[in-house]
Amino acid sequence: MPSPAISFAALLRGTRVRSYANRLPLFTRLVLVAIVVFWVLGLVPVLDLRNWGALVPDLVGITTLYRLNTFPFIHLNLFHAVMNILALIPLLERFEAEYGTLTSLALFFGPFATLPAFIYLFIEKFVLRANTSVMGASIWVFLLLGIEAIRTYKMNPYLVVGTHNIPTWTTPIALLLCVAALVPSSSFLGHLSGLAVGYFCGLGYLKYLAPPEKALRFVESKLNLLGRLPHYVSLDQKTYGRFGVLPTSGSPPPRSSGVALGMVGSSQRLGPSQNDWLHSMSSSGVLRIRRDPRLLKLPPYLSLLCIVVGVVWLFLLPLDDYSRRTYISENALLPGQVHTYFGGSDQNVFRAYKHETGGLVGKSNIEINDGLETIVKSIGLKTSRQNFTYQSAGRVYSGENLYAILQAPRGDATEAIVLVAAWENVKGEHNRNGIPLILTLARYFKRWSLWSKDIIFLVTPDSIAGPQAWVDAYHDAHDSSRVDSLPLKSGALQGAIALDYAQEGRFESVHIVYDGVNGQLPNLDLINSVNSIAGGQMGMGVSIQEMWHHNDQYPDRLRTMLRGMLKQGLGLASGPHSSFIPYHVDAVTLQPFGIGWQDEMAMGRVVEGTFRSLNNLLEHLHQSFFFYLLMQRERFVSIGTYLPSAMLVAANFTIMAIALWVKSGQPVQNAKKEPEQDGSDGNPSTPAVERDLFLPLGVVTLCQFLAVVPLYLFNHATESMLTPTFTIFAVLNTLLPFALSQYLTQYHAPTTQQYQLIKSFSLLLLGMFLSSLATLNFSLALIIGLLAAPLTFMRPFPTSPAARFLCASLLNAVSPTAALLIATAVWRGLDVSTILRGAAFAWDVCGMYTPVVVWCVWWPAWMAGSLVVLGRPEERKVKTL
Amino acid sequence: MDGAKVTVGRTAGLYAGAAVLRLALFTLFPGLPDLLTGRVEISTPVTSFKRLQEGLFLYNHNVSPYDGGVYHQAPLLLPLFSLLPSFSTLPILTYLLYIAVDLLSAGALLKIADSGEAGSSALFTSPRREKRWSGFIVAAVFLFNPFTIATCIGRSTSVFTTCAILHAIAKAVAGAPFSAMVALSFATYLSLYPLLLLPPLLLLCYDRRPPSSQKQPLLNFALSHIAVVLAVLSALLQMSYLMTGCSWEFLPSTYGVQLTLSDLTPNIGLWWYFFIEMFDSFRSFFLAVFWLHLSSYVGGLTLRIRRQPLVVLTLLLGIFAIFKPYPSISDASLFLAMVPLYRHLFPLMRYTFVIAAVIMYTTFLGPAFYHLWIYAGSGNANFFYAITLVWGLGLSLLVCDLTFAVLRDEWEVERPEMVGKEIRQI
Repeated sequence: MPSPAISFAALLRGTRVRSYANRLPLFTRLVLVAIVVFWVLGLVPVLDLRNWGALVPDLVGITTLYRLNTFPFIHLNLFHAVMNILALIPLLERFEAEYGTLTSLALFFGPFATLPAFIYLFIEKFVLRANTSVMGASIWVFLLLGIEAIRTYKMNPYLVVGTHNIPTWTTPIALLLCVAALVPSSSFLGHLSGLAVGYFCGLGYLKYLAPPEKALRFVESKLNLLGRLPHYVSLDQKTYGRFGVLPTSGSPPPRSSGVALGMVGSSQRLGPSQNDWLHSMSSSGVLRIRRDPRLLKLPPYLSLLCIVVGVVWLFLLPLDDYSRRTYISENALLPGQVHTYFGGSDQNVFRAYKHETGGLVGKSNIEINDGLETIVKSIGLKTSRQNFTYQSAGRVYSGENLYAILQAPRGDATEAIVLVAAWENVKGEHNRNGIPLILTLARYFKRWSLWSKDIIFLVTPDSIAGPQAWVDAYHDAHDSSRVDSLPLKSGALQGAIALDYAQEGRFESVHIVYDGVNGQLPNLDLINSVNSIAGGQMGMGVSIQEMWHHNDQYPDRLRTMLRGMLKQGLGLASGPHSSFIPYHVDAVTLQPFGIGWQDEMAMGRVVEGTFRSLNNLLEHLHQSFFFYLLMQRERFVSIGTYLPSAMLVAANFTIMAIALWVKSGQPVQNAKKEPEQDGSDGNPSTPAVERDLFLPLGVVTLCQFLAVVPLYLFNHATESMLTPTFTIFAVLNTLLPFALSQYLTQYHAPTTQQYQLIKSFSLLLLGMFLSSLATLNFSLALIIGLLAAPLTFMRPFPTSPAARFLCASLLNAVSPTAALLIATAVWRGLDVSTILRGAAFAWDVCGMYTPVVVWCVWWPAWMAGSLVVLGRPEERKVKTL
Repeated sequence: MDGAKVTVGRTAGLYAGAAVLRLALFTLFPGLPDLLTGRVEISTPVTSFKRLQEGLFLYNHNVSPYDGGVYHQAPLLLPLFSLLPSFSTLPILTYLLYIAVDLLSAGALLKIADSGEAGSSALFTSPRREKRWSGFIVAAVFLFNPFTIATCIGRSTSVFTTCAILHAIAKAVAGAPFSAMVALSFATYLSLYPLLLLPPLLLLCYDRRPPSSQKQPLLNFALSHIAVVLAVLSALLQMSYLMTGCSWEFLPSTYGVQLTLSDLTPNIGLWWYFFIEMFDSFRSFFLAVFWLHLSSYVGGLTLRIRRQPLVVLTLLLGIFAIFKPYPSISDASLFLAMVPLYRHLFPLMRYTFVIAAVIMYTTFLGPAFYHLWIYAGSGNANFFYAITLVWGLGLSLLVCDLTFAVLRDEWEVERPEMVGKEIRQI
């Protein structure tokens, strides 16, 4: 249907819209104003305009016949009004231009409104016996389309598609069906009545409906309407006529070419705008859009939009509309359904064990293990020990793990669940209640015969290196030179719970720590089960992410989520459970905190309940989510909801990279050759320049290879050397871009195109790495993406040294080294050497890859960006292809 | 870079650099070869080094290597590898063997590039042929392509097939059709699919035949050289027969596995996912369809681009890299090795950036999604398969774009007024 397309194509060029709007005749303007006025009035709820004016079959009576005229002006909402205006105006304008303002007025207030309304009312009330109300100008749209269709049919009977001839008068019917299918609240019957009247009129019976011309001419001349009213279209068009004298039904030779566009090549009455649209929709037109220089101004705004939307998306997540309540997906778990019997005399056993283990405090690891081993052996479990020695940043982390296996009396030893307690927790405090509790639980569990999986009790000297060594050795993935193999093993691990109970006295709530190495999280069902058991069955509080108080409002939710994201992004091990998660063993650490009335037996019951739930599993937890963000113990978002945020931030780099690639292939403006526009056979040529790829590729590859240097340095420097190394590196980092840029400008004299290509390749790599990383560690990808976001907007400033240095200092403020320094400033307890030592330890022991991402993904992109900002391109002759 | 004079010293330096890089990677990162050998993108059931070691062990202990159902590679590889000392005691010699094979392939590629066949074949001369890269650059691109290096470090046995195919083409270009046929027979013996390269290779040999056989008509030429291929193949098969204890049982385990896809280990191809979820009654039908699809490109391309058989070989290698039963990145690296021969057509290609970006993205996303599927347990096979489909899409884009550039180049010779103009495709 060409008519709306005219206005759309005209919209593409602003000046044409304005000139088109200026040339609208009077009646069209009046209708437009009426629709707008009625819409504004409809905003006032008191007036209840829609009930007043719509065509409601039951309400139409003698006194309410005005509805037959008012219903086309009233619309349901703004969207309805705008769409109808856009559809109606071109058609109405053409109708009026042909028939004159007065005729149109008479017709539209007369037969064109009432006839379709009558038909609709008749069918609706008497045939369908329904009461659907209609309103809106689309009935006129279809009416005018009907008239147009018949006229087009007379001129160009068939639309040739392939070998089929489709009569052109059926086009409005196709549109009718489309609208009925696609627009939800449209009235098929109403449109059909309008169309029927339109066909009727188009077939020539309009003259029976139209008021007599002589009368109208008399009125017109008597009132001198033509002279008084602006944009008035006279009946004989001799004094108006945008197109001069129009043939009303003449048919110039149709310019159809047998392709699908044949229908539209009908007559001059369509006007220049129609031909332009035709021309623009041919292949050269699409090319014209492609070559439009304004198109390349768009990507930086698009990138900015992506970044902004990505960040705003994140802040929308804690709202109720976007987050969900947690639920247990694995029905086998049945958390909180069992009665837990831990307590009673086990309290005495606990106190005895606490006294004994209290006596071991301060002794060496071997002595502690000897003492614990006697206790465990007295329970009757098989025990074993494992030595490990890790070296990182000049320090040695060595120790001995002790573990015991409770074989399920009626199980087949193919699966196992683990209960871990570290002698010292992550903060270095002694796990004074956790160790006796694990021993008491071992004694308690041994008495039950309902275990289907083996239970392994593990006591490690520290919270990170010990469990990591044990889990690695259990799965035979350990480095034999550093970690001993396990002499005793059981089946595949299905789950693990770690106890961190350093607090003395009764507690109030349980803190669940669930972050794993490299941001991997356990299955959400495990956290939900613990939450259900501790919070539901046992009546304790449950908290996450060190939010000791959480009031379930937006700020607390946001803070929880951001803390979780930070922990996930850093990817450090946050407890004994972290080492289990990379092996697809779901694990959490439970830390009682607060002052309340729950005692150690309550904690034991929580563990018992969780183990009873884990006992029911037939396979690994797989039903619930592995990728989620928890904002409160019972609210989460899953990956489908939060991933677009990081993907958008990564996509912004790709968009800029593609835009820069395209820009680099275009000729420089001041050295433009004459592009051959629209050659004689209608084929425009696209002048492109050759791209000199060698230097940009070399620079980007060099930056990537240089990244190995800081990675190696910070992972292998000894502890005392860390701060001086870092300081020297930070200083070099600031100076290196200057030096490299100077070298480039002096010896290679890169052009603007080469700087564009450097930026394009480095952003392409950055976007690629970050999108891949977002699937593995969403938070790290998002954090790095946001910190690297200024790189999208960097460009050389050849003429302005001030801008250059300003941008360079801005980039230095968001460099990796600066980020580290800012982190030390924000978290007062940390200093650079602690951070770097922790990173080196996590790299050596846990296999954390955050340093790789920072130094091998972010830093090379930063370096390339700095080089681009400091560049001083000069123009050289570029060769065209 | 346009055919600049390259001295022997420079080439030797290139080879030395590539060898040093590979040796450095082998020795400085002791865990790297095993890590790469374990990756499905590099090792397939018919090219895996681990399976070769298994077969070697059985062979050395006088058990048929095909009894275990693990080893699916050609029998004659076993005596070759058993000549080397045991891998666990002295791995360096195996590494040196693979490095040598890589360098030989690079040498063959150098000869192909330097002959100028890509720019001007016997029946067609491209107007753009001045802008080509010398053999030095083409060999450098091949040797330093990360895919080639990863294949070498992962010790996939497809390097032998690559070497044989490249030698076949080099000999054909040099005017030694007999040697070309012998090399192709070796390639076919090692992996089944190079047999499909016979028609274009025959045409290439015929176009570049030595003066002594100038007057021979095409049909006689073709028949005699097909006979050569058959003879060499039967000789090799006979040797294998004798070697595996006088039995033909190696045939189902080697070529049968390729034809019937009995091993469904995931790889970067399209076949495994289809056949994992297929009902048995449809299996043979779909196997026939897939093989027919793979072979259908040979006839069409050979006839259409008769005048440039080297182009046909390049395009077919690209198509095989996507559609063969057990592809790996080594097939992609072979295809990407032949593409720089057509540097003069790069300006005619329309999607170079998209192709480069897609291939790079999938190279990084593929292992990430495989990790999510197998290790983290939070993805499933669809993630990995989707990324391999995108990888196939990128390679298909490259094949199609190269075809477009070749055809456009040929067409511009007939219609010189259309140079530089945008064409409208129907």
